[in-house]
Amino acid sequence: MTAELTAARAGLVSCETCDLLARPAEAAEPGYCPRCGVELASRRHHSVQYTWALVIAAAICYIPANVLPVLTTTALGSADSDTIMGGVILLYTTGSWPLALIVLVASVMVPLGKLVALAYLLITVQRGSITSNRERTRLYRMVEFIGRWSMLDVFVDAFTVALVQLQPLMWVAPGPGVLFFAAVVVLTMIAAESFDPRLIWDSSHAMKEHHA
Amino acid sequence: MPEDTDLPQATVVRRSRTRISVVWIIPILAAAVALGIAVQRILSEGPTITIVFKAAEGLEAGKTLVKYKDVSIGQVTAVRLSPDYSKVEVTAKIAKSAEGLMVEDAKFWVVQPRVTLSGVSGLGTLLSGNYVGIEVGKSTKKQRTFIGLEEPLIITVGQPGRSFVLKAANLGPLGVGAPVYYHSLQAGQVVSYSLAGDGKAIELRIFVNAPYDTYVNAGTRFWNASGVDVSVGAGGVEVRTESLVALLAGGVAFDTPAFAAQPEPAAPNTAFTLHGDRATAMKQPESISTRYVLYFDESLRGLSAGAPVTLLGLTAGEVSNVGLDIDRATAIVRGRVEIVTYPDRLLARLSAQQAATRATLARSATERHAFMQRLVEQRGLRAQLRSGNLLTGQLYVAFDHFPDSPKAKIDWSQDVPVLPVTPSTLPDIEAKLTNIVTKLDKLPLEAIGDDVRRALVSVDQVLGNANNKTLPELNATLEETRRALAAADALLKNGLHTTLNEVNTTLEGARRVIATADGVLKNTDATLLGPDAPGQQDLRDALQEVTRAARSLRVLMDYLDRHPESLIRGKAADRP
Repeated sequence: MTAELTAARAGLVSCETCDLLARPAEAAEPGYCPRCGVELASRRHHSVQYTWALVIAAAICYIPANVLPVLTTTALGSADSDTIMGGVILLYTTGSWPLALIVLVASVMVPLGKLVALAYLLITVQRGSITSNRERTRLYRMVEFIGRWSMLDVFVDAFTVALVQLQPLMWVAPGPGVLFFAAVVVLTMIAAESFDPRLIWDSSHAMKEHHA
Repeated sequence: MPEDTDLPQATVVRRSRTRISVVWIIPILAAAVALGIAVQRILSEGPTITIVFKAAEGLEAGKTLVKYKDVSIGQVTAVRLSPDYSKVEVTAKIAKSAEGLMVEDAKFWVVQPRVTLSGVSGLGTLLSGNYVGIEVGKSTKKQRTFIGLEEPLIITVGQPGRSFVLKAANLGPLGVGAPVYYHSLQAGQVVSYSLAGDGKAIELRIFVNAPYDTYVNAGTRFWNASGVDVSVGAGGVEVRTESLVALLAGGVAFDTPAFAAQPEPAAPNTAFTLHGDRATAMKQPESISTRYVLYFDESLRGLSAGAPVTLLGLTAGEVSNVGLDIDRATAIVRGRVEIVTYPDRLLARLSAQQAATRATLARSATERHAFMQRLVEQRGLRAQLRSGNLLTGQLYVAFDHFPDSPKAKIDWSQDVPVLPVTPSTLPDIEAKLTNIVTKLDKLPLEAIGDDVRRALVSVDQVLGNANNKTLPELNATLEETRRALAAADALLKNGLHTTLNEVNTTLEGARRVIATADGVLKNTDATLLGPDAPGQQDLRDALQEVTRAARSLRVLMDYLDRHPESLIRGKAADRP
């Protein structure tokens, strides 16, 4: 199996924005895209390092996001603070397990899954794994796709707080957990963005080249 | 230009791009924030306390708050049964800021809506649910396990006022929360009660709010103002109540009698006696009291300890004991009445001009005894039992002057001097009434009745006679008289002057007779109706006289008829 020709191997660089294939000014500093003016890079700078930093930050935020309450409901004078898991348990115990499942998947599993997926991708890239490149790419696409929907929880929280304001009898206030939850979502989105999926393939090329 | 082809090629050292990127600030920041929150949480973590209650009424884990002065200082985190299932252990997480409240003598109780006779409290809990109230203690020793109170603490530590201890013989209707009144204003509450150490009395702890607490001084009297105080004594019926609440739920009232007022307010936790009623509480303690004993031979029914002793109607003391005195030698049983007199009360009634006398008598017991001695010996001062209230039969002891009573002396050498007594007037009247009744009994009422009846029968007979006999005769007589008069009339018409004179004379006589008859008739009327009816005979006599007179008149008329000349010549001498 011959090694595929990539821009990097051909000594070329592709613009990430307009996909113009251009000759770099020099290998170390490719310069700027002659068509759209974006700085060119054969691979994103410090992609792995950036992604790691963001993933770790998101992982740190994930803990308070689940431990701290996201909503504080004050009804008839008695305040009730709920965490995300508390809400899931409440929904489950009150019998609406489908809803509990949705919340569990959307608010607990998906952020966690994204973090795990990104970490897996980073580790495999760093270790120069050459297996299941396609699957890993699909995983990356999925992470990137889901990212934009993960803010649902924050939206619901914001709506509830804005709508349920029957001041003397009942009102809802956001808890500190929702900030951390939002941070998790934003950080994983940026992390997914900063990860350069081309790295997945680079190691297999290098391996083939080496063998060749 | 020399060509240095064999010169080594200068290496291009690429600027390392692998140094630590600024992007790591993000995870460090996130970690710092998260750590910060965690540290803050841990630092703000207050103590976890356990309160043991008898029942967890309305307490919910994760919901019920712990409040101090209505500020939430913690939350109940768990409610579970104690290992032996007899109690409920409530675990609560207390805010760090309130950690200082969790001391040894802090008190916890469950606040719930409470509707009692003396008020409604805890209405806020209807909306927010029950909560755990706390009262801070004074100790500084920390504690984490507490025994909850069953009743809410009424008085908070910060409340201005003072608490006092009342000693009472029994609790009566007083309970925790019972009002304390001062001049009918609610001035405080009963906070707690307990049995005194010896188990013979009740110790009530009351709290008097500021500013009323300044009116409590060493001379203040407390009394039980519960319910209606109805007392029936020699003074009549007395009804007293403090308020409707006190009537239903009981209450304590206090006041300071003018004579006992102290300038300094009493110190907190001063012990007072709780009197049974206002009269007892406000009674003036007597500085001088003299005890006497009186021996009565009459019934002491209606005389009880506490009955007043009066001098000229003014209260001078009271009966302290009513008993019996037996003399075995003479077999005499008499009533023994011990009295206590308070000379002060009487001396206080002296006018200002007699201040000197008052001072002398108040100062010296000898002077008082001498004066009493004189009263008894010279003025005849005697004790007497009198009825204070005819309806209830209450008796009291009255001292009054009885100058006619036999001489008596007071033996002051005795421990309790005996004062002379005089029998009460009430038994006297009774004896007299009995006498009268006895005499009435002895009267021959039946015989008198018989006599009266017989007399009435006689009267009846007399009246019957008068009707049947006397009246027809009278009628006949009158008829004859008229006829006689008619004849006389005829005669007069025919008669001469001289004859007329005689006739006149005769008529005069006739008129007299008629007048007499008239009088007789009137007499008859009177005598017949009179009770002794003696005139029957008289009437008959009179009528006979009239008949006779009429007869002689007829003889005269006949004679004149036959000898009309006699009117002129006079009556012819009897011819031979």
